[in-house]
Amino acid sequence: MALARPPIEILLVEDNAADVRLTMEALKEARVSNRLHVARDGVEALHMLRDGSGAVPRPDLALLDLNLPRKDGREVLQQIKQDEALRHIPVVILTTSQAEQDVVQSYRLGANAFVTKPVEIEHFFQVFRSIEQFWLNTAKLTRP
Amino acid sequence: MHKPDSSNEPAPPPAAPTERLFRTVVESSPSGVVMVDRRGTIVLVNREIERLFGYSRNELVGRSIELLVPQRLRQNHPAMRQEFLLNPQTRAMGAGRDLFGVHKDGSEIPVEIGLNPIEAEEGFFVLASVIDIGPRKQAEEELRRSNEELERFAYVASHDLQEPLRTVASYVQLLSRRYRDQLDADAVDFIDFAVGGVRRMQHLIEDLLAFSRVGTRGAPLVPTGMHAVFENTLASLHAALEESHATVTADPLPMVAADAGQLAQLLTNLIGNALKFRGTDAPRVRVSAERSGRMWTISVQDNGIGIAPEYFERIFVIFQRLHSREEYAGTGVGLAICKKIVERHGGRIWVESAPGSGARFSFTLPAVME
Repeated sequence: MALARPPIEILLVEDNAADVRLTMEALKEARVSNRLHVARDGVEALHMLRDGSGAVPRPDLALLDLNLPRKDGREVLQQIKQDEALRHIPVVILTTSQAEQDVVQSYRLGANAFVTKPVEIEHFFQVFRSIEQFWLNTAKLTRP
Repeated sequence: MHKPDSSNEPAPPPAAPTERLFRTVVESSPSGVVMVDRRGTIVLVNREIERLFGYSRNELVGRSIELLVPQRLRQNHPAMRQEFLLNPQTRAMGAGRDLFGVHKDGSEIPVEIGLNPIEAEEGFFVLASVIDIGPRKQAEEELRRSNEELERFAYVASHDLQEPLRTVASYVQLLSRRYRDQLDADAVDFIDFAVGGVRRMQHLIEDLLAFSRVGTRGAPLVPTGMHAVFENTLASLHAALEESHATVTADPLPMVAADAGQLAQLLTNLIGNALKFRGTDAPRVRVSAERSGRMWTISVQDNGIGIAPEYFERIFVIFQRLHSREEYAGTGVGLAICKKIVERHGGRIWVESAPGSGARFSFTLPAVME
């Protein structure tokens, strides 16, 4: 590595503890240094995104589940994409849903990608390698 | 309008039904019967009309038929009656539209009405038979609600049931991934069984969903070229065809009234089965079509292991399997889906076979009328 880059900040919005841990395990294997912040529901996610204190850094990438307690992922997505200060953050929908209506609706609301959580652990890790490859290595992210 | 030529009439039967008998027939008809004259004045009603509209016959005879037409439709009704008089022929009223009558208490009644012009010595009349479709409408409404519930259930099943399963599979696999080197052969076996069980459960859920969607997610039946569907099916089965060195051929296939997506699923399942239950020779599958009346019979003939006649019915029942999972993978849902698809199209499906001599699955689909 020519330059030590600051770690990529990732916000994971996920209510299932097992999936949070699995995501952590997958990201541990990533080559790009990253820091994972976890919100367990939609309300907490928007709090963290709009937190002015600087306690939570503005994420470079958000991984968002659709079915969440209190405020669901579709609403969170809509609010991120309508917020001048947040809309630049790439949002990857990460859900168990394969329903066509969820895919269509998510892209309409401005999702940057829609990924169905794979069943096989190898595929799950593969998804994270792809996310890393594209969003953390290939795509140019903004740091406003 | 012409009267039948009375000179050609056959001789009256020895015991002609009396007028009283005719009255009894009209009176006890399960359909409402109401007869009006040229001006739309009610001249006759039966008991069912009294029940349906809540009037006694004395309150109806001599009144205008518009009395039974809801206020919102009353204004146009005389013009429609005039139109019928210009070209009187037996037909259903308001084809394709929902018809309503109005009860004495003001409530609307969904009805179906058939109109028959009657020419008699006494003059020209229109006989309307009125069927109360309230109970049917209610049943349809209940069916719609129940389908909606099923649809919601399907979504819950696809999401909420899959999630815990995925968690079990993921962590067992993670154990294996991280610690396989430190585990003995037994432990690795146990992990494989656990993962196998979860995978099987997932297939069952997916197949159950596919089964329930045949009814809830069906598209309308429209003229569909079956040959294009067949070609698409082959394309989607490409890997399986190559792997099994199968030859699949088809006669010219017809246009049928079908939901193309479901038709593709039907062919995929049947051809897929032909490949799966193959014998020692490379699979040969032939799809053919034969017209009989307003239906086409489509057959899928294979040279596979065949089925004993005692199982001909059972194979179409959901979750029924004839083999152990070690011999042939599967959940026992495929042919149940086929049956449900064919029945949704108003057809039927059956099999002819003998062990060791291949199987011929046939189903009927409605032809497209030219």
